[in-house]
Amino acid sequence: MLIQSNMKMAEVIHLDYHLLPIVSRFGISLGFGDKTIEQVCRKQGVETNFFLEILNSYYNKDYFPQKHLQGFSLELIIEYLRKSHDYYLHTKIPLIEDLLRQMIDSFQGIGSETLQLINGFFVEYKNELTVHIDREEEKVYPYVFTVEAAFTSQKPTREIVRLIHAYSMEDFENEHDNVEDKLFDLKNILIKYLPLPVDLQLCHAVLVELFRLETDLKDHARIEDKVLVPKVKYMEKWLIEHATV
Amino acid sequence: MKNAHVIIAEPSQLTRSGIMAILKQTGFSFVFREVFQAEKLIRHLQNEPKNLLIISNFFLNSCSPEVTGKIFSKSAQIRRVLIQDTGMNSRFYNDFHEILEPDDNEKVILRKLEKQVRELVKPDPACDQPEVISEREKDVLKLVAIGMTNKEIAEKLYISSHTVITHRKNITSKLGIKTIAGLTVYAIIHKLISF
Repeated sequence: MLIQSNMKMAEVIHLDYHLLPIVSRFGISLGFGDKTIEQVCRKQGVETNFFLEILNSYYNKDYFPQKHLQGFSLELIIEYLRKSHDYYLHTKIPLIEDLLRQMIDSFQGIGSETLQLINGFFVEYKNELTVHIDREEEKVYPYVFTVEAAFTSQKPTREIVRLIHAYSMEDFENEHDNVEDKLFDLKNILIKYLPLPVDLQLCHAVLVELFRLETDLKDHARIEDKVLVPKVKYMEKWLIEHATV
Repeated sequence: MKNAHVIIAEPSQLTRSGIMAILKQTGFSFVFREVFQAEKLIRHLQNEPKNLLIISNFFLNSCSPEVTGKIFSKSAQIRRVLIQDTGMNSRFYNDFHEILEPDDNEKVILRKLEKQVRELVKPDPACDQPEVISEREKDVLKLVAIGMTNKEIAEKLYISSHTVITHRKNITSKLGIKTIAGLTVYAIIHKLISF
């Protein structure tokens, strides 16, 4: 089933509460009353069609409107990617950090240094994720906007071609390193190898959040790889082909 | 995490509940079995998983010598804690790993019980090391965990880099850990290397 613009916003949340963080990423808060998606979006100044495509691609794992999504402006797409970054760094990671801390603090006895080790592992992951995100925001996105500006104004200048040769989307794809590997490892260390009787409720809470973060990051990477990258690559190709040598 | 199976043999509900409340404070997970009849206790000792028997002097004294003997023989393999009631002599002192005295405060009881439970959930040395990775893979894992490159490992173990890579692939797929940092954590937890 696809989520449609005339559906009530409240119904969407009842349909799948995992969409809550996506909704809030668009700056939409709760208290929808009986407003439809379209009404909520208009009120919040959100592009309804884009919002729907994102909701649907999260809601339905098999639905990925690649072509559709590529039709939206880069500005819209990148604004969304930035908001998810913000959500990871300022909401999700601190939440997991806090739960992990509680789990470690509640454990008294021999072996707590193992827990510190696991905590250190998470801190390492967090730092890697931060570096990864900073790189995208400070280097990749500005580059993308430069390419887009040249493409829209149909100005394949020598300067822009030089830029593309210095750093292109292909480099981005290559260096799109697997930060999720550490996340995967952390889950398995907790699930398979945690040697201590820690507070189970807290440990479960940590795991659930790790799983959620992982899913969210995968969807995020899918938008980068399947929407952002091809769109910019197309522009790069056009600019190089039409460059005035 | 494995559960500790605890049998509490004591007629007083208050005492049983108190013991359970204190045990829960240790943070370990438990499956409790409360009994107040000797026959039931013997049946449980025979048929159910058990790790720890907490039994009161009051309970034992109400049993015939024959029954008492059975209780001891059936619980020979597990840890036993005695709840010592006020004003009662115990002829059983030596048969217990720990004795809870009438004037023990909560802290003391907690400490005594925690010590017993910790013994219970101590990883069994036999199943501590997962058998899944071979000795050779273990050698490679140790060197990966301390940060050596494939080439360095190959030289150290007198094998080819290609073999090192194969070992590493197998280690990762067997353990479900992909990163070097993750393998290091694993190796420390399993005492293959130290800090």
